[in-house]
Amino acid sequence: MKAWLKFSPRIVNKHVISDLIKTYDVTFNILRADITPKGGKMLIEISGSEAEEGIKYMEKEGIQLNPIKKVVKKDEDKCVDCGECVSLCPVEAIKIDENWTVLLDDQKCIGCGFCTSSCPTKAIKIAY
Amino acid sequence: MLCHSHDNTFINYTKAPVVKKVKTIEEINQKIKDGDAVVITAGEMTRIVQENGAGKAAKEVDVVTTGTFGAMCSSGAFFNFGHSDPPIKMSRTYLNGVEAYSGVAAVDAYIGAAQPHHNPDIGFDYGGAHVLEDLVRGNEVELVAEAFGTDCYPRTEVNTFISLENLNQAVMVNPRNCYQNYAVATNSTEETLYTYMGTLLPQMGNVSYSSAGELSPLLNDPYFQTIGVGTQIFLCGGRGYIMGQGTQHATDGERKNGVPTESAGTLMLQGDLKKMDSNYLRGATMPKYGPTLYVGAGIPIPILNEEIAQRTGISDHEISCKIYDYGVPRRDRPIIQETNYHELKTGKITIDGNEVQTSPLSSFKKALEIAEELKTWIEKGEFLLTNPVKSIPNKGCTVNPLEIRRPSIMVKDIKIKPVITVKAEEAISGVARKMVDNNINHLPVVDHPGRLMGIVTSWDIAHAVAKGSKKLTEVMTKKVIVAMEDDPVEVIARRIDKHEISGMPIVDRENLVKGMITAEDISRLMCSQNNKEGDSQ
Repeated sequence: MKAWLKFSPRIVNKHVISDLIKTYDVTFNILRADITPKGGKMLIEISGSEAEEGIKYMEKEGIQLNPIKKVVKKDEDKCVDCGECVSLCPVEAIKIDENWTVLLDDQKCIGCGFCTSSCPTKAIKIAY
Repeated sequence: MLCHSHDNTFINYTKAPVVKKVKTIEEINQKIKDGDAVVITAGEMTRIVQENGAGKAAKEVDVVTTGTFGAMCSSGAFFNFGHSDPPIKMSRTYLNGVEAYSGVAAVDAYIGAAQPHHNPDIGFDYGGAHVLEDLVRGNEVELVAEAFGTDCYPRTEVNTFISLENLNQAVMVNPRNCYQNYAVATNSTEETLYTYMGTLLPQMGNVSYSSAGELSPLLNDPYFQTIGVGTQIFLCGGRGYIMGQGTQHATDGERKNGVPTESAGTLMLQGDLKKMDSNYLRGATMPKYGPTLYVGAGIPIPILNEEIAQRTGISDHEISCKIYDYGVPRRDRPIIQETNYHELKTGKITIDGNEVQTSPLSSFKKALEIAEELKTWIEKGEFLLTNPVKSIPNKGCTVNPLEIRRPSIMVKDIKIKPVITVKAEEAISGVARKMVDNNINHLPVVDHPGRLMGIVTSWDIAHAVAKGSKKLTEVMTKKVIVAMEDDPVEVIARRIDKHEISGMPIVDRENLVKGMITAEDISRLMCSQNNKEGDSQ
């Protein structure tokens, strides 16, 4: 599961994530992180046999967790299927299908934002 | 551009291309009117010629439709705004904050697609191309104009809103569209580059290309046998016309299978903006490069004989192109390797044994839509083919470079202070002493043969002392921005500005340190040049 974690300024100094990994059987991948003393957010992917318990633990410790289905959103009206983004994706989450339509694979996307800043028609946005 | 065609006098017109005709355009038009014409897209034609041969295809097929939808900076439109009361002779004109050229009659102006917004905070994000898209979408656009004021045109300013429907004329005129083949781009440097070919990742991390390949109009008629001055075309959802050869039209470069292997022929196009559709015209921004317009163009090719059928049967396999290193910011960029559109369209290509992803930049989906749309127009009898009024040259045209009277000064031409370097194993204290003795802030770190390993600044040394680091290799910056001896000084000035640094080591091809070039050296050079110019006047 992918989710945005929101950290309030109150908990940025707590080592919630390392405690989580020590205590529960979870696989944890940090895709994006932007945390300052004023709080911040982190995009993570979490799985494993105790993922459910792990999530409950994070919420108990004060992290607001918003599960996401889409990491990036493509505006189909703006997109002209030029394919500029395809070769820029570090995880090959963007593909051109047999009809030359540009497709984004949310399962693979890590939300790096490289495609959003490079899109000539500004058709791709990070979904918060 | 030089075109040694035979129309040096007004009497000796170049004749329309001589082609052995099996069918005439008039006969094809009659079939179109009768609803009997066989019209197919260039992609379908490729398959038909492969399966049945060109002879059979020439008998069966009447028209092949082509299409392209790519970023074409050399585009724009003329407007006539109408006269205000009292009237104005506009000398500066802005549409939604983007300047249009108004050095023509009182209320005429030309907006170029690549013109950025006059407010630097908006800049590249909204340019001439976006104004064109807004107008075509039916949106109101703010018109601001300034004038000197004359006896016949007393008004000195205008601030109002216009829309496409209340403009007297809005005519798209594109000086250079539909490039016949184009360069393919990659980047060998250590940094990401932002170019008109899109974002290019370091160390040849990606490849971008921009031709529609076998669908592209001028690759289907590579010798301009049917496409000429006056040819009616599909332009951005409306009808357009070919005005003639485009700027930078070139005919004499290398060809393989009859088609150029690099940028060659171009077209100047015009069409009524009022009839266009935003589905086939889009404002865009190449990041950190500027605004550009995605233009949709489709050209019908009458299949008059077997040779024309053969040429429209060209496949992506047969269209070669070259990958250039855009990491070299010079007019002549080094060629990395040759490829073809079949390989590029697979999405991956191998360079130096590494698999690299490719990006098309132009939309094949839209190009196909355009070829299909044009096919439908012709099938319905709504669009007839035209005989060219005059042919477009297919030989004798070359693109000449701009020779600058005062050529670029190269790094090696600058008087540079003797090079001071430090060896990687030198003690921090020794390095500090070297900086103080020589009154410098940067020192290149080299290995024993003198090859560049890194660079240290006085700040790095202060850091090392504060943290108790003993080793130079721990505190030096390993990723160094460098200058080559044959880099023009303008390129170095841009590099210094872009990376916000004060100077960089000069290295040769073996990475041996030859000296340092600093912002001071460049300012000194500019001062001495200005003084020289002052003396000569």
